[in-house]
Amino acid sequence: MAHEATLPHLREVKGSGRAISSEEQALLTVQGLSVRFDGAPKDVNIVDDVSFSVARGKTLCLVGESGCGKSVTSLALMGLLPTPPARIVAGRALFDGQDLLTLSERERADIRGDRMAMIFQEPMTSLNPAFTIGDQIAEGIVRHRGISKAAAMERALDMLEKVRIPAPEKRLRAYPHEMSGGMRQRVMIAMALANDPQLLIADEPTTALDVTIQAQILTLIRRLQEETGTAMILITHDLGVVAEVADEVAVMYAGRVVETGPVEAIFEDPQHPYTIGLMGSVPSLGRRQGRLATIRGTVPPAELMPKGCRFTTRCPFADSRCANDPPPLAEIRPGHKARCWYAPLEEHRGAA
Amino acid sequence: MLRYIGRRILIAIPTLIIVSVLVFALQKLLPGDPVLTMAGEERDPQVLEYLRERYRLNDPIPVQYFVWITEAMRGNLGISLRTDIPVLDLILSKLPVTIELAIMAMIVALAIGIPAGIISAVRKGTTVDYAANVIALSGLSIPNFWLGIMLIMLVSVRWQLLPASGFVPPTEDLWLNIKTMLMPAFVLGTGLAASLMRHTRSAMLGVLRSDYIRTARAKGLLSRKVILKHALRNALMPIVTLSTLLFGELLAGAVLTEQIFTIPGFGKLIVDAVFNRDYAVVQGVVLCTAVGFIIMNLLADVLYVVVNPRLRHSA
Repeated sequence: MAHEATLPHLREVKGSGRAISSEEQALLTVQGLSVRFDGAPKDVNIVDDVSFSVARGKTLCLVGESGCGKSVTSLALMGLLPTPPARIVAGRALFDGQDLLTLSERERADIRGDRMAMIFQEPMTSLNPAFTIGDQIAEGIVRHRGISKAAAMERALDMLEKVRIPAPEKRLRAYPHEMSGGMRQRVMIAMALANDPQLLIADEPTTALDVTIQAQILTLIRRLQEETGTAMILITHDLGVVAEVADEVAVMYAGRVVETGPVEAIFEDPQHPYTIGLMGSVPSLGRRQGRLATIRGTVPPAELMPKGCRFTTRCPFADSRCANDPPPLAEIRPGHKARCWYAPLEEHRGAA
Repeated sequence: MLRYIGRRILIAIPTLIIVSVLVFALQKLLPGDPVLTMAGEERDPQVLEYLRERYRLNDPIPVQYFVWITEAMRGNLGISLRTDIPVLDLILSKLPVTIELAIMAMIVALAIGIPAGIISAVRKGTTVDYAANVIALSGLSIPNFWLGIMLIMLVSVRWQLLPASGFVPPTEDLWLNIKTMLMPAFVLGTGLAASLMRHTRSAMLGVLRSDYIRTARAKGLLSRKVILKHALRNALMPIVTLSTLLFGELLAGAVLTEQIFTIPGFGKLIVDAVFNRDYAVVQGVVLCTAVGFIIMNLLADVLYVVVNPRLRHSA
């Protein structure tokens, strides 16, 4: 049954026998996801033809500069995009064999907070100021587990202990405004993991926090992920974090995935000029060679978006083909894909 | 909590003093001589002088104020110059009528305004939202007296469903009491419902955009719970403020409505007193209204703390 359902799409990724096996072990497979916003110029999708997959228990890092569509992608997967103005115009998102994008709103709500959960960027505003911490954690448990409020409170207490909040019994009855940003983010993590989700989406969970707290929160997420075997999509623009926690990486630029692959491949053998530029812009304590490298220019606004590769305007290798024909996300080595006409770059060194 | 309420009451005291001075001063500034009104056709200077002496109108104004305020604090608001009934008794006989009308009107207003505001916020930009806004705007624009007259013509005269006017105390005939109050309460309530709806809508729209609503939805909660628990609770602050103020206004007397439906309430009392230059009654009624407003404000302050836990610390 499930196989029949997946058949039509197999024609799209013709010639890659890997698709079947990776789909079987993958917890989440996103294919050709495209999101449009009402009012945006015609044919310019804010998220365009995004594909990646997350294996069970593994971590995928979604990397890219702000505004490149990372958050929109993750909200689309959670079913939390405000529609309108947003509209999902194409794509599939197979979660455990089930296409999330074809489910009814009710069916999605049944999965949300249960089998997939999310942590947001802004711990200061993400908790409801009018209810206690305990109430807010417990209500998600009651919703999906159908247990009594008292039992859910017990579980909430367990979770607060798990995320290492001091004096958890007291915190259960505390209101969000009585806690610091780091503590609130711990509460958000407790809330997200309360129902043992198979997939956790963490949207820049440490960006809004003090630098000293960032590492603590990240370590906590990692530890809990190992304990529970949850798969994770971690959205970040911090390449140091990526190197530390990712199994797989998907690099996004202007709404498209430009390169995906295992973390070692992305760091040691980046194929897309944008990825190479990103690597060059990481400050390093080890080598100091003059100025910090940057990628010249800025992301073009939607109405000036090139028809072909969206990186054309900033790419040192770009030619007329790049400007007019969008390159496919092509496999360069097993598991390593890049969306560039010139990938693998080694073969074109002479040309550049 | 108790300390917070205590502090609020203390803050209300200076307000009360200022209000009482204003009430008294306005009274003195009004044209017309109460003694002449009282004396009627009698213009005998001796009678006039006797009356002035009796009502202490020859004393210096600060002394008059002091006498009035100390008596008022002891519950003696003076005697109606026209009817010789103690002002306090007059007020106490009319106030329950107006309170009943105000409560019924408030129930109508809340029952229409809040759900309509929530629905139009949630369905923002749809036909439902536009329809609700058009109805609310008409509700705000249609004068109460016109709506009242139309209702009387339709419901009482043509369909003969409800009595057009009059008042029956609930102790006498509860059913008839409710029947006579229904139309005036509806007329008053719909007017308030419109502004309640607009405020509820804008408060809800603001709250629905917030991050914690997204968190609530990320938990998989159903929209009903997200809206009625997470959003409404946070949108309640402005609604509480507005409701208590509106209720205070209702207590001040729905003058026009009470006139149209000939309800012997506060509004009618104040109109009659002003026309008759019954100074003691006017003073008493205005003071009473001011106290009513202050009590409603106090209630609003207390409700804030109940609704918003962030205020409990400063409390």
